[in-house]
Amino acid sequence: MALTLMKGSEAIAEAAIRAGARFFFGYPITPQTEIPEYMSERMPEVGGCFLQAESEVAAINMVYGAAGTGARVITSSSSPGVSLKQEGISYCAGAQLPCVILNVMRGGPGLGNIQASQGDYFQGVKGGGNGDYHLLTYAPSSVQEAIDIMMFAFDKAEKYRMPVLFLADGIIAQMMEPVEMPEMVDYKVDPEKKPWACTGWKPGDDPAKRGVINSIFIDTESLSEHNEVLQEQYRLAKANEQMWECYKTEDAEFIITAFGTVARIGKTVVDQMRAEGHKVGLFRPITVWPYPYDALKAACCAPQVKGILDVEVNEGQMLEDVKLAVEGQKPIEFFGHFGSQFPTTGEIRNKILEMKEAM
Amino acid sequence: MKKMMVLIGNYGSGKSELALNFAFQAAERGERTELLDLDMVNTYFRLTERGKQVEMKEIRLVSPNFANSGIETLSLPAEVASAFAMDWDTVIFDVGGDAVGSTALGRYYQDFMQLEEGALQVLNVVNIRRPLAGSVERIIHLQEEMQIHSRLKITGMINNTNLAEVTTTQELHDGYEMIKEVSIKTGVPVLYTAGKKDLLEKFLAEEGHDPQYIGTPLPIDIYMRRDWNSWISSLPEKRPQQLQYL
Repeated sequence: MALTLMKGSEAIAEAAIRAGARFFFGYPITPQTEIPEYMSERMPEVGGCFLQAESEVAAINMVYGAAGTGARVITSSSSPGVSLKQEGISYCAGAQLPCVILNVMRGGPGLGNIQASQGDYFQGVKGGGNGDYHLLTYAPSSVQEAIDIMMFAFDKAEKYRMPVLFLADGIIAQMMEPVEMPEMVDYKVDPEKKPWACTGWKPGDDPAKRGVINSIFIDTESLSEHNEVLQEQYRLAKANEQMWECYKTEDAEFIITAFGTVARIGKTVVDQMRAEGHKVGLFRPITVWPYPYDALKAACCAPQVKGILDVEVNEGQMLEDVKLAVEGQKPIEFFGHFGSQFPTTGEIRNKILEMKEAM
Repeated sequence: MKKMMVLIGNYGSGKSELALNFAFQAAERGERTELLDLDMVNTYFRLTERGKQVEMKEIRLVSPNFANSGIETLSLPAEVASAFAMDWDTVIFDVGGDAVGSTALGRYYQDFMQLEEGALQVLNVVNIRRPLAGSVERIIHLQEEMQIHSRLKITGMINNTNLAEVTTTQELHDGYEMIKEVSIKTGVPVLYTAGKKDLLEKFLAEEGHDPQYIGTPLPIDIYMRRDWNSWISSLPEKRPQQLQYL
C-alpha cells in the first residue's frame, strides 16, 4: 500500500471515515480545528453529514442522537471543549451509546493555552462526567497508531456499548508523518446486530419494539440493575482490551513510563542511552483505561530494575496509576512540565543519569 | 537586482523547509537576505521556531505579530514593508498553506506589481505524497485557487515530493511524472527539484528524465526536524514488534 504524508488531524479524520463514521458533529478549537475542517470537505463526498454545532454541548448531544440510531458517529474537540462535553459523555455512557470522542489535549486548566499538553489524563481516565462510568481510552503515540486504533475503535465501542475516547496530545494532531491508510470499511447499520438502536418504528408495529434510549432510572432497584449491566461491560473491557508496549525492558535497570508523544520521546532516549551503555527501557500504555497495571508491574518490578522515571506533560497524573501498579516495590521519580513544554531527550536523559548517580 | 521569491503551496508541501534552504544558501553566497514568515494559518511547526538559527546566519527574519507566543490571532507585521523598501539581494516569503494561506499575499499586491520585470518568482511547492496534492487535477485546482487568493501569478513549480524520513527516489520520480503533466497542461514551468543531496543525485543519475521538467536541482538540508523523530512506526516492519495485547 502506498504511503502518504499526512497531518495527524487529517489522518485521524480520514481513518474515522474509512472505519464507517458518517456523522461528525463538532465545534472548532485549536489545536484540532483541522479535524472539522477536513470532515467538512470529506463527509459530503461519502454521503455523510458534517455539522458545525453551535457549541460543544450541542455537538455531544447530536452525537447522542445519531449514536442512538446505530450510526457510527464521532466528535472532536480540545481540552476546554471536552470539558463542556462532559455531561453529554456521561449521558452517552449511561445510555450505552457507542461513539468516538477525540480529545486533542492542550494546556489547562481553564483556557490554558493552545499548545500541546497531557493535562486531561484524569478527566479522561478517572471520570470527567458524573456517575460510575468509564470510557475505553486510547493514547496513541504516532499518527499511524492513531489511524490503526481508529480502524477498530467503533467495533470496540459497539462491542461494549460504551464511548471510546482518544486521548491525543496536540502534537499528534499537528505533526506530519508518512502513513499507510487502510481501505474503506463497508459499514451499514444492521438492526439485527443493534436491536437497541432506533432504526424506525411505525404505527401498527409491535409497541414493545419501540426504541427508547435513556439514562434515567428513577427507582433504586432499576438504577442498581442498570449500573450492574454497565459494570459487567467494564469488567469485560478490562479483561480483554488492555494494550501496551514494552520497549527494551527485558534487561532494563531504569524504565521510563510515559504515554502519547512523550513515550515516543522516551523511546528515542532509550536508544540514545543504550548506545552509551546504559540499560534503559520504556513502558507505555496504549489503553489508559483499562490501564495495563499487571503488565506494567511485570516489566517494572523485575529484579534487575533499579528505578522508574515517569515522564508526562502535566503535574504527574498517570504517575498515580504507575504507583498503583508498582505497589511501592521500586523507587519512582517524576519528570514533567505543565506549561505545554514537551520534555527534550536531553532533559529525560539527564534525569535518568541523576537517578543513577544518587543510587 | 533584488530577487524576490514567494513560496506557496499545499499544507505540508515543505515551504518552510525550502524557504530556510533558499535563505541559508543565499546567505552563504554573501547575499543580503531577508526571510519573511507570512504563515497566518498555522500555530505549530512554523519557520519562526528556527528563528535563532536564521539570525545567526545574518539573515533578517520577519515574523507575524504573536508568532510562537501561544496566541493564535496572528497579524501581519508592519516590517513586511521592509521587503519592498529596503535594499536586499534576496527576499524570501514563506507563506501559509493552500488558498487560505496565500490570501495574506493579496495585501501586498501593489508592492509586488512595482517590482522590476523578472524580479519576482512565485513558486508553487508541490509534494504529491500529500493527499490533497495527489493528482494532476488537484494540483491544478489548488494552483488556480492560490492564484486567485494571492492575486499573483505562479511563475514556476518546485518538485518537493517526499515522505519525510522515508523518502526514496521513487517519490522524486513519481513527483516528476505528475508535475510534468501539470506543467504541460498549464504551461507553468518546473523550476526546481528539491531533495536531500544523496537522493537527488541518485534521481538525477536515472535515465529517461527530460531536464526541462526537473529544472535546477536543489539539494537541501533538513532543519524542521524534531529531535525524537527516530521512531517512525508507519512502515509495517518498523511498527512496534513488542506490541502486546492482553
